[in-house]
Order: sequence, then C-alpha cells, then structure tokens
Amino acid sequence: MKWLIFAWKNVMRNRRRSLTAMLITALGTAAVLGSGGFALFTYQSLEEMTARDTGHVVVAHARGFDGDEDVPLQHGLADSAALAAKFAALPGVRAVAPRMQFSGLISNGDKSAVFVGSGVVPEIDFRLRGPQMNFIAGQPPATNAPQPEVVIGNELARLMKAKVGSSLTLLATTTEGNLNAVDVLVSGIASVGVPEIDRRLVLADLAAVQKLLLSDKVGTLSIYLKETADTGAIAARVREMQPGLAVKTWRDLAVFYQAVRALYNRIFGILGVIMICIVLFAMSNTLGMAVVERTREIGTLRAIGTLPAEIVRNFVLEGMVIGGAGALLGMVLAGVATLFLLFAGIEMPPPPGRSAGYPLLLSFSPPLYGAVTLVVIVLAACAAWLVSSRAARKPVTEALAHV
Amino acid sequence: MNPEPCTLRLAGLRKSYRVGEASVEALKGVSLDVSSGEMVALTGPSGSGKSTLLNLCGLIDAPDAGSRELCGTAINGLDEIGLTGLRREKVGFIFQGFNLVPVMTVFDNVEYPLMLLGVPPAARREQVMTALQRVGLEAFAARLPDALSGGQRQRVAIARALVKSPVLVIADEPTANLDSTTARQIVDLLHELAHERNASVVVATHDERMSSHCDRVLHLMDGELQ
Repeated sequence: MKWLIFAWKNVMRNRRRSLTAMLITALGTAAVLGSGGFALFTYQSLEEMTARDTGHVVVAHARGFDGDEDVPLQHGLADSAALAAKFAALPGVRAVAPRMQFSGLISNGDKSAVFVGSGVVPEIDFRLRGPQMNFIAGQPPATNAPQPEVVIGNELARLMKAKVGSSLTLLATTTEGNLNAVDVLVSGIASVGVPEIDRRLVLADLAAVQKLLLSDKVGTLSIYLKETADTGAIAARVREMQPGLAVKTWRDLAVFYQAVRALYNRIFGILGVIMICIVLFAMSNTLGMAVVERTREIGTLRAIGTLPAEIVRNFVLEGMVIGGAGALLGMVLAGVATLFLLFAGIEMPPPPGRSAGYPLLLSFSPPLYGAVTLVVIVLAACAAWLVSSRAARKPVTEALAHV
Repeated sequence: MNPEPCTLRLAGLRKSYRVGEASVEALKGVSLDVSSGEMVALTGPSGSGKSTLLNLCGLIDAPDAGSRELCGTAINGLDEIGLTGLRREKVGFIFQGFNLVPVMTVFDNVEYPLMLLGVPPAARREQVMTALQRVGLEAFAARLPDALSGGQRQRVAIARALVKSPVLVIADEPTANLDSTTARQIVDLLHELAHERNASVVVATHDERMSSHCDRVLHLMDGELQ
C-alpha cells in the first residue's frame, strides 16, 4: 500500500503532464469502448434479425441446403407436422415454423414480375418475425381463407400497382414440373428494409402454396428458441434425434451477419491498435520524461539499497496509477455516451442496399469494459517497464552524476 | 550500536576512466583499512581521486584491480543483487546535495531504508521517530524536504543513513554550503555515529571543520594516499 501511495505522490509531481497522459488514455479508452459498444450493438441487432428471419436452428432434408433441386420441393421434408411436434417438445424451444421457398411470376392482369416467395404459417411466422417486418398497410394473410391471401413487398406493390384488397395471380412450377396458377388477395404490404428483397417479396399461407405446388412437403423447419445462447446445444440435440436430416444454425446461414462481423472486426481492430499505440506513446512519453528527470534520484535509491527491479516496480506502479485513472475516466465517458445515445434517438443513415436507417446505440458490455481497462493498465505498466528498466540498470555513480 | 566490530578493508585498488581517447588513472593501488568506530576523512584537491575512492568504499562502483572486504565478506565477485543487498543492510550514504526524495515527507524519507529491509510497520515507526529525535527533527516528520533549510535536510539525510544502524557510513562533502553552526551539528552527529554507534565513517571533505574532528585524515594526491 505504501508503495502505491509513493507512486501516487510521484504521479502528482508533475500534475499537468500526468493529467495530459491520463486524458489521452481516457479518450483512447472511451474511443475503444464506444466503437466496441457500437460493434457489439450491431452484432446483437444482426444476430436477432438473422435469428428472427431464419430461426435459430433450421432443419431440412439431407440435401435440402444444396440448392440443386430439379423441381420445387424435390428435397423437401415429408411428414413435417410430426417432426415439428417432436422438435417443439424439446426444452428451450419457443416455436417451430414450417416454411417453403418458391418462385415464379406475379401478375395483375396487365403486367407480370418475378417474385421470390415463402410459404409460411401466418400465426406462427409473423409473430416470430417481430419488428423485422415492417407492415406499411394491411395485415398478415389469414390461414385457409376462401381466397388465398398474401403479403407482398412495398416495391413489388408499387410495380404491380397493388393495394390491400387487390387481386393478383401467382404462377409457379409445380413439384411435377408443370405450371400452375392461383389467384390471391393482397392482405398486407410490408418492407424488410432491403429494396432488392422488397421488389420480389411474397409471403403466402403455407397451405395455399402447397396447393399451388401440388405437394404436402415443406422446405424447412425453423426452430425458434427462448435463448439464442442455446442454439448449439439444441442443434446438437436435433442432429442426434434426426441423423438423416441436415441441421444448420442461424450463424451458418447468416452470410450478411458474418460479412458485417468480419468487416467491423477488421475496422474496429485497426482502430483499437491505433488507440493502443497512442496510449502507449503517451504513457512512454510521460514516464520517460519522469525517468530522465529523476535519474539522480534513481541513483540515490540504488545507492541506499534499492534493486533495479524495485526501481522498475515503482515506475510500473506509477504507470498503472495513470493508466488506471485514465481507464476509469474513459469508462465514465463511454458510459455517459452510451446513456446519451439511448435517449437522444440519433439515427444512422441506411447502409448500402437498404432503405431504412437504424438507431445509433452503444451496447454496454461489462466484459468489454473489464477487458479494455485491463489492457490499458497492462499497456501502461509495459510502457513504464520499457522506459524505466534501462535507467534502473544504469551504473549508480553515473545516475548520481546525472544533471 | 553495532555489536560486532566490522572493518572495511581495501587493498591495491586501481581505477581508471576513459576521457576521449586517453585513459586517466584515478586510483593507483590504494590500500586502506577503516575499523568500527573510526571516522576517517579523505581530503585532497579536485581530481585527486576522493570521489572515486568514496564510491569504491560505498560499493557503488567497481575497481579495475584490487580487493575489497566488508565485515569479512569479500566484495569481489558479488553480483548486482549481492552488492545491493550489502548496501541495503550495512551501508548508509550522506550526499553533499542531501538527495532526499522531494515527494516523500521527512518521515517517509527516513523510513524508506527500513521498508527495503522489510521491517514491520510498527517497528519502522519507532525506529524512524528515534532517528528523527536524534537529529532533532521529530517535529518536522510530516513536512516535505522543500519546507526545510539546508542544514535540516542534511540532518534528515543523516537520520536516513543511521536509521538502519549501518556498519559503514559514506559521507560526501556533508558540510559543504552549510553555515558554521549547522556544519558543527553535522560534524557532531557523524562523530557520534562513529563513536557511540560503532560505525565506520568515511568522509570526503574539503572542510577543515570536518577533517579536524576525524580520527584519521588521509590525503589523496594524483590517485595515491600520501
């Protein structure tokens, strides 16, 4: 404790210089915590978005993810209701949503366009998608309605000049390779925030799509969990239960998430390295000047029996005091920024390829705060060690003669 | 009081320095014994080798040739840790410029050698206050060195040197730049350190007031004892 008090007193010798190093450290810490918090918020948002879109665990036919079907549902799942019931009984499972992908032409009588659709169970699917699907007008399709109902993307609605209540025709290839058509009623117009998808999006009642494709199979079973953290365990359990089926997690299917994560890791990693260098240089400069100014004192302490390692320890403690205080201040700054953004409601502009922005928020992560603080303190200690170890080993007579 | 007699024994010490291309021989085979309770003054003009001999006596420099022994321990061959350990335990230093740590209080400065020796806090406190009482500065324990006069600072430095009851005290011009009264106090303190505490005291000095009170006065000239 006494050594720590000496370290504090030495730090206070040149208040302005120590304060400058402390502020640089604080700003560096806050910048790393801020950017890290933003990256974490982005990752968490994308995780939630992806999991809501695909489900946490997706089960398909053994070749269901290959994408080389000759006809629709060639590698579909038969007897999906029994499988879904089995999976739904697993602990931690919130819901199981059967789905199928289909595509074809959509027409309003005057004009046709290509669509990429999903057959879903509306009462399960739209509840699970949550805020990821933004309804601009109308509501989800009704199950087993007299005339099949669909939700279409807002861009597709604009192309088809369709409104809620408009009648459109879906034309698709059946599982037998023939063409089939069904008249559908637009029950809702929605956006997923990606214009390219909104231009092709059709969501229809699963039963109606099965009727259109002349099949009772489904493409996949999406298993939604109560906790995302259980994904790996549930996926493993499902593989055990159904070794003949293909099982993927949301992470395996999240190409966009993986790409963003890789990009942000790279960007914020470089930013972190720059911040580390700045902190290291600031600390080295401050402590280096202190070492030079106190060379004679080092000689005195060495003469009266202080080991070089003990001299270095004293400077390392000083570095840790400055680094610790800077990290503490940086944490406060980052915390204040996190709170401010929580209430300020600042929006980020839409990312490339998207039509909607997203809130600028920072995640508060105690492990991140702890790790960054630890890194800053270790860096400060390393800087102190670097600049003091040579001076501590200088011959005593030379150090005492230092002017 | 050091219970056991302890002698500093120097034999045939040689030391030279390089100054540019030239080599300057600062000590040319100096031999010297300083016994417990003895106060020895080293005098001589600037460049005579006083400081070099003092550094070798204080184990903060190494000779090119010759041997040293303190309390029967051969110094030659000791590594940095061994030398530091010996200084920590047995040698006290008093510098011309006082060399107190400015951010430490008087108490902390005097306490520092005891912290190095791992003395428990309660015992440290007692020993520090005793040392400060001895130099008449117990009332100044909480002050910083900057708040003291030159003479008071030198007394703090003496307290720092004597607090661990060293067997050897090295003093480099301890009365330089001090007025007569203060210089007299310092001389008395060092005298007491040698005679009452049975320590060997080696003082480098130009000051007649100091050398006249020493048991022996050794004059150095061109690296040799006269």
